Amino acid sequence: MNISSVLWQKNPALAWREVDDDTIIISPNESLMHELNDTGSFLWKNIDGQKSAAQLADLLVAAYEVSPEIALADTESLLQELSSRKLVVEVASSDKESK
Amino acid sequence: LSVADVTLTRGTEQQFDLSIGCLPVSLRVAESALFKSLVSRYARFAVASDVPIPICVNCGMPETDFASEFDYEFEGAKLFASKSGAHFENVRNEYALDTLLRVFLSWALLPRSGFLLHASTVVKNGKAYVFMGKSGAGKSTIASMSPAGSVLTDEISLLRCENDQWRAHGTPFWGEFRAEGSNTSAPVAGIFRLQQAPVNRATRIRPMEMLRVTLPNVLFFSSETRANARLLEVLGAAAEEISAYDLAFRKEPAFWEALPA
Repeated sequence: MNISSVLWQKNPALAWREVDDDTIIISPNESLMHELNDTGSFLWKNIDGQKSAAQLADLLVAAYEVSPEIALADTESLLQELSSRKLVVEVASSDKESK
Repeated sequence: LSVADVTLTRGTEQQFDLSIGCLPVSLRVAESALFKSLVSRYARFAVASDVPIPICVNCGMPETDFASEFDYEFEGAKLFASKSGAHFENVRNEYALDTLLRVFLSWALLPRSGFLLHASTVVKNGKAYVFMGKSGAGKSTIASMSPAGSVLTDEISLLRCENDQWRAHGTPFWGEFRAEGSNTSAPVAGIFRLQQAPVNRATRIRPMEMLRVTLPNVLFFSSETRANARLLEVLGAAAEEISAYDLAFRKEPAFWEALPA
């Protein structure tokens, strides 16, 4: 499977808020706090269960002065980090078909 | 005025009305010894209200029609809370009751745009200065150096946004200095993160930094997502609307000169 085509959604068990241009995320069950910088926050806001890493990277290119290659690499890297912390999850196939 | 006997479905219990942060609650207690100790402990916060939130202490487990929205357990003592009231069960002494009361308030304040913060608060020139920091940073020291009657709390501060204004309220939850707390409030001048240093200096910090340092010092016990989202909403507003500073200070009253007016 090409990782760039996977659709991502926020873990629904999280609480989060944007302050200044950054985002703070709480994992209530683990009592953990996470932070995202401005570009991380931009991607976080756009993770809605309907976009892949490639689509998110396209948005990053449009909003920031960054090349498509770097945008995609950074987006995939962030998604992997968020996934490892269980802050985002892949959209299940059945959900994907209904979108 | 604030102490009464009340007949409940399970028998006669004594009732003590108090208000913390303008949140009126009515403690209904079956045991006389526990009742006497809490009347003494919370005497400064005794306020009668027409519609207090009823809290039944050791009245027996809640009826089956009591829809608990928040449960918590501390060393065998149990809390069951809903918007209409709460039950504290297996409360063995005033300290367990005090703990459950803090936990309950941390939850009940949320819809009222309030929260409890591990911080001391001192009023100067009509404004509340909130001092936060790690254990030993100087919260109690500042309270001990402040004039009598100016300390709202040396341990747990209660902050609420009322009519678009953040106010700090005293609480009966005391700390090392054993200031019993004052049941008054004042508009918040600022929140200060303490660090003892050779010089006195206040440095403004950004809202995100304030949120980062405030969160670990907030008393909050719910793992429910919506409650945590609301907490972030309230704290985020506080971070954006209250000025926050790093305060390097010496253990001497002159540190006040470094604070913004």
